[in-house]
Amino acid sequence: MLEIEDLHVSVQDKNILKGLSLTVPAGEVHAIMGPNGAGKSTTSYTLAGREGYEVTSGAIRFKGEDFVDLPPEERAAKGMFLAFQSPIEIPGVTSMNFLKTAVNAQARSRGEKEPTAVEFLKMLREAAKKLNVTEDMLRRPLNVGFSGGEKKRNEVLQMTLLKPSLAVLDETDSGLDIDALRLVAEGVNALRCPERSFLVITHYQRLLDYIEPDVVHILAGGRIVKSGDKTLARQLEDQGYDAVIGQAA
Amino acid sequence: MGEIISIDRLLKSASALQTGTAPWAGALREQGREKFSRLGIPDRRRESWKYSDLALALTKAPKGTSVSRVPLALDGSYLAVFENGVFDAARSKLPADCIVPLAAVLADSASPFAKTLGQINGAEQTGHAILGLNTARMEEGFVLRIPKGETLSNPLHIRFNWPAEETADVDGRHVRLLVELEEGAEATILETHRGTPGFATVVTELRLAQTAKLTHVRIDQLGGASRQTAITLGDVSKAAQYKGFYLSEGGHFCRHEALFELTGDNANVEIDGAFLVTGESHCDNTTVITHAAPHTTSRQAFRGVLSGSSKSAYQGCVKVRPEAQKTNAYQMSRALLLSREARIATKPELEIFADDVKCSHGATAGELDMDALFFLRTRGIPEEEARAMLVEAFLQEALDTIERADLRDVAAGTITDWLSLHATEVTHAG
Ligand SMILES: Nc1ncnc2c1ncn2[C@@H]1O[C@H](COP(=O)(O)OP(=O)(O)OP(=O)(O)O)[C@@H](O)[C@H]1O
Ligand SMILES: [Mg+2]
Repeated sequence: MLEIEDLHVSVQDKNILKGLSLTVPAGEVHAIMGPNGAGKSTTSYTLAGREGYEVTSGAIRFKGEDFVDLPPEERAAKGMFLAFQSPIEIPGVTSMNFLKTAVNAQARSRGEKEPTAVEFLKMLREAAKKLNVTEDMLRRPLNVGFSGGEKKRNEVLQMTLLKPSLAVLDETDSGLDIDALRLVAEGVNALRCPERSFLVITHYQRLLDYIEPDVVHILAGGRIVKSGDKTLARQLEDQGYDAVIGQAA
Repeated sequence: MGEIISIDRLLKSASALQTGTAPWAGALREQGREKFSRLGIPDRRRESWKYSDLALALTKAPKGTSVSRVPLALDGSYLAVFENGVFDAARSKLPADCIVPLAAVLADSASPFAKTLGQINGAEQTGHAILGLNTARMEEGFVLRIPKGETLSNPLHIRFNWPAEETADVDGRHVRLLVELEEGAEATILETHRGTPGFATVVTELRLAQTAKLTHVRIDQLGGASRQTAITLGDVSKAAQYKGFYLSEGGHFCRHEALFELTGDNANVEIDGAFLVTGESHCDNTTVITHAAPHTTSRQAFRGVLSGSSKSAYQGCVKVRPEAQKTNAYQMSRALLLSREARIATKPELEIFADDVKCSHGATAGELDMDALFFLRTRGIPEEEARAMLVEAFLQEALDTIERADLRDVAAGTITDWLSLHATEVTHAG
């Protein structure tokens, strides 16, 4: 699904990713953990195609196709999704309208039929109910005045409706209460299938109790410094980065 | 081009109008004539016309072009049609018994409106040349009066059809409207301007007696070569409420002034507005809200979308008289700059002579939110569509202040139409 090869990325002339390599096969869930400032969000923005995140060398291949020069909307149409660490507020656009525009835009660019208003509403209501997103929240401008946890649930709602092939979740668990964390994890697990992959960025072992990763990577200093199975996350929680990364080096 | 438009030329037909005019109306016109000849055509040397040089605009050849647009219509409304500034009663659909054509009012020496026409908001009129010109030349228009306690059953759509193509008619068309809502009366007015007047002045006087309520949506959809100065004057008395929404697309010269005086306790004036300008267009919103009684509240909030090399101005003045304690006044201007060449001048003014008041004002000008744009694109929305969406969203917050859904739809439709017409200017940064 995703192959990142020796990726170097600079933001405002500052090198942030320094030789990051990572492969996420179809159907797998990979977790990325790492200290603050390690480059986790930089990785996710680079994957989503944010302007100003300059790939100075290396490659990103998505479903075998070179991804680096594609604009964000084309990456989305090919199945890439990023749940933002800090979700964006859009005053003046209701969640409902935004979701419909996004779903239609993706259908169009894939040459698929746009869902009818009735089909869309049905889809939306079902997904919203599972994530405890109320009708009122859907009618309000996107994320404006929403609590941190509500915003994160909104990101997962978007993912549920857009059905990406690869979902990058950048600290989607931060700020969630225990019940919301379970809802979000259930939302992710419901989407797990052999054709879909997840890259879950998190600081906490707890999310990984709910969403069981196939592989756990540690990102530090702009590179993956260690990878392992899910026990690596527990080891990190017990011993801290210094001990674990030191061991790797 | 280059022709000198003189005061005399603008006034030339004023004296001919006097035949058949009642003495009171003749005297009023004469006052207007005197005022205009004394003050002259406003130009940038006059402080409040600094960003809108009418004298220059009248001599400079306009550059803009006109294009056809979706119709501006309100289902089930009454209709008052003006064809190039001439009231066309035959094509109108007027409410019974409450409209009198201006000519009939001016010819009637015992007209009940002799006491009110031209008398509103006296303080603000002093020194206003265009009011003088309009008064001197007024001929077309009407008076709308809603009796005590009554509600105009449907909205009244006052539709101004200006010429479709640019005209050399800089001598001007001058329309005068007077709206009187007696105690407790209510009305909804949609005023639309479309086309390309060579030079037009439209003066609307609104008199709201105690507890009267007026909703007023005005849409300026003038061609790029148009010249228009419109003035809306209001006298809002005790517990009366004026709710206005002004949408403008600018023109070669396009200025609207809202001059309101809150003359009774608990009077309330709320004005929201949006303007969308591109190309070489000019758009000027000027307001003076005078709080002259205690416990009065006012709100003004304008949002501008500026592209091309357009020039806009928002001058918002709040005056609080010494007797107007417990006044609450709010003023806000937000501008979205879509091109480096577009300009906006924002001039808030507060003149406060009472001590127990709450007045707040603010102004912002900025570009599209790049984080929001990136976010929308990551959701698969193409860049141009995402940009248009953000511009619409910016305006949506102004539209949301229109309470009636049918009026909101007309305004929203105008905006959507404008955005699709100017998609290139709106969706390409630069
Ligand atoms: N626009 C920028 N200009 C300069 N430096 C930046 C910019 N954006 C990010 N950085 C730097 O890049 C480094 C990586 O940031 P990034 O946001 O990717 O970290 P992270 O791993 O997501 O951290 P956290 O766990 O705190 O979310 C940090 O040192 C940060 O200060
Ligand atoms: Mg981060």
